[in-house]
Amino acid sequence: MNRKARFFVAGLALVGAVAYLMYTGVSQTSVYYLTIGEFITKKEGLANEGVRVAGRVALGSVRKNMTPNGEELNFRIGDFQGNDSPDQPTVPVHYVGVVPDMFKAAGGSDVIIEGKYRDGTLQAQNVLTSCPSKYEAKAAGEAAAK
Amino acid sequence: MLDVGPIALAIAWVLAIYAIVMSLVGALRQQRDFITSAEHAALAVWGLTVIAVADLLLALVTHDFNIEYVAHYSSSTLPLNYTVAALWGGQAGSLLFWLLILTSMTAIVVMQNRYKNRELMPYVNATLMLTALFFLSMLLFVTPPFERLAFTPGEGQDLNPLLQNYWMTIHPPALYTGFVGCSIPFAFGMAALATGRLDDVWIRTTRRWTLLAWFFLSLGNLFGAEWAYRVLGWGGYWAWDPVENAAFMPWLTCTAFLHSVMIQEKKNMLKVWNMVLVILTFLLTIFGTFLTRSGVISSVHSFTQSGLGPFFIGFLGIMATMAIGLLVWRLPQLKSENELDSILSREATFLLNNLILVGIAFAVFWGTIFPVISEAVRGIKITVGPPFFNRVNAPLGLILLFLTGVGPVIAWRRASASSLKRSFLWPTVLGVGGGFAMILAGIGHYYAVLSFSICIFVGATIAAEFYRGVRARQAMIGENVFAALAHLMGKNRRRYGGYVVHIGIVMMYLAITGTSAFRVEQLNTVSPGESFDVGNYKLRYDKVEAWENEHAAHMAANIAVLKDGKQIDTLKPEKRFYKKPEQPTTEVAIRSTFGTDLYLVLGSYDDATKKATIQAYINPLVGFLGWGGIVLAIGTFITIWPARTPHPAAAYAPSRGERMASE
Repeated sequence: MNRKARFFVAGLALVGAVAYLMYTGVSQTSVYYLTIGEFITKKEGLANEGVRVAGRVALGSVRKNMTPNGEELNFRIGDFQGNDSPDQPTVPVHYVGVVPDMFKAAGGSDVIIEGKYRDGTLQAQNVLTSCPSKYEAKAAGEAAAK
Repeated sequence: MLDVGPIALAIAWVLAIYAIVMSLVGALRQQRDFITSAEHAALAVWGLTVIAVADLLLALVTHDFNIEYVAHYSSSTLPLNYTVAALWGGQAGSLLFWLLILTSMTAIVVMQNRYKNRELMPYVNATLMLTALFFLSMLLFVTPPFERLAFTPGEGQDLNPLLQNYWMTIHPPALYTGFVGCSIPFAFGMAALATGRLDDVWIRTTRRWTLLAWFFLSLGNLFGAEWAYRVLGWGGYWAWDPVENAAFMPWLTCTAFLHSVMIQEKKNMLKVWNMVLVILTFLLTIFGTFLTRSGVISSVHSFTQSGLGPFFIGFLGIMATMAIGLLVWRLPQLKSENELDSILSREATFLLNNLILVGIAFAVFWGTIFPVISEAVRGIKITVGPPFFNRVNAPLGLILLFLTGVGPVIAWRRASASSLKRSFLWPTVLGVGGGFAMILAGIGHYYAVLSFSICIFVGATIAAEFYRGVRARQAMIGENVFAALAHLMGKNRRRYGGYVVHIGIVMMYLAITGTSAFRVEQLNTVSPGESFDVGNYKLRYDKVEAWENEHAAHMAANIAVLKDGKQIDTLKPEKRFYKKPEQPTTEVAIRSTFGTDLYLVLGSYDDATKKATIQAYINPLVGFLGWGGIVLAIGTFITIWPARTPHPAAAYAPSRGERMASE
């Protein structure tokens, strides 16, 4: 019985350690994942927090510039799903680094911006373009809706 | 025109139901002819699946663009090997391919067990056919691969260029074979529960299947990593992407299962735990297929749109309920025949190894589905990225590595102080000494020092095992070193094959540690003739050359690699613009020396100023990942290879008892 209790305590300690690692891991590394629509309504409260924001690059908004640290991108993202009206609310994004292959210079790419919102601009650490065929389910769903 | 494929699938669907019903009725009523008939039906399901796959392949190879799948994933100019690979390039095709592997394995199991395990077989067959039925239903009602278009396009949209790659050709088959392989031990486990034959027959019967599944899961993960490294061009090979995690989780639980079944075979312990692991592994393979195919993590909203989601969740629910129900029903009969005696024993070490593997799997699972959970619970989506996974898994992974050295060597039941000293004194001295040497040499990354020290420790325990085994044979039989080594391994394949696999794992830890701790990354924009330093290299950007063919336009930067002022290589990282579909891709250029890679990416190029952005990485020891994979494969083959019935004396290797007695 004593032996069993010892094993039980050892097991509990291990489970506790894993739980602790996971808890601190989540609390220290988690970021909010928002669509651009959600982000626009909540952005002031999210200033300087780590965020991932999904949106579409506004057509004609992309400015490129070569800098010593890589390519500098300034553009705006908005909702633009099924509505290309230029009056839609957008948020400016600033990024320096390697531009992903699927990022269209003309705009219109679906992107996920990882970074922080500071002084009215999303300072991107990372710009991800959604992969065209990895998840086709969504596209299939959209096609079915048409 | 008569469509062969859909008809074959429809007949297979009916036969799968027939096989399930006849198996179960036959088992309950002790009707042998029912059971045999069900097995014949399972073979027919396999044959029909082969026909359906052949039909889709024929359509791909003959460019029948009237079939939507063919038009979507291939084109008339796609090379033949990728045209064949398009079979698993899309959703419907990959599910069909899954079914092909599953039914093929079922057919082999049925043939292998015509005269064996007759009590278990009806339930094995029913479980496998139930899984097949699920995939058949998907293929018939949700994502039919043979759907025809209202018109015939003149040309296909072609396979995504990112998938037109050697590693992407072999990654899905390896991974799917691993996934599906896990359903064989699961089916036998279910049969053991259903029949009440709860001894280790089901485990012994499926030992090779489990190893095979594990082997392919390992390869699948490694091929995927290799693909990410060579194709995606971000300098790394593992990003804790949901799709990667999907393949990694069953590997973890399968690894745990491989180890814990040894305890059941030897000590009749952990019976419930083994059932839990085999159920978990099976469910995770289905969950993994679901994750890769549905995109539920990228957006919860796509879940309802995809059509597949609810079915997968339903199937997972049914299988989980059935499996857990059977397990609970048999719980009273699954009591261990032995108890743990001491924490310092092989049983306890293996159990700890299991808990950690499952702990890692749970952390990965949690991190993967966290966005979904947080959205459901708090209404806001929160994601955790690589930092979460690294923080949680690095300490757990290091304990696991340490156990890799301890587990196979430590004594059963209770290790005495003298046996601990004999097995671990020198490896510990070497590991700790190596660690201090690294610190003195100025390596300030303590995590890495710890990891390398444990690698030394594990390597030394394994080397010592080989040394002792060879010496004992030399003393007993008087063989020379090589003959002794060959015979030692040949006659004790399982044990020494396992050691070789562990060496492979240690090599992978070297790679993971090297790249996580000492990776150098640099981004520079340069004009022609300019150079910059990365690590010990000086890189000079000379020019960009461009050329074009029918498939793609190429643009390659010529980068001279200089070391100590002398040019040693020219690397040509590329940008490619595929013409169909119109898509740019990045082709990295890699120079490997002793496992350390110089990895170059052409970020962008401005034609007006001739300036180019070059991203350079140095990935120390990354080559050990692949080499470790090769060693792991060799080790698995040694373990899995059928041994000739050994002559008792010829199989001689010192057991722990004998070693103790001889000293």
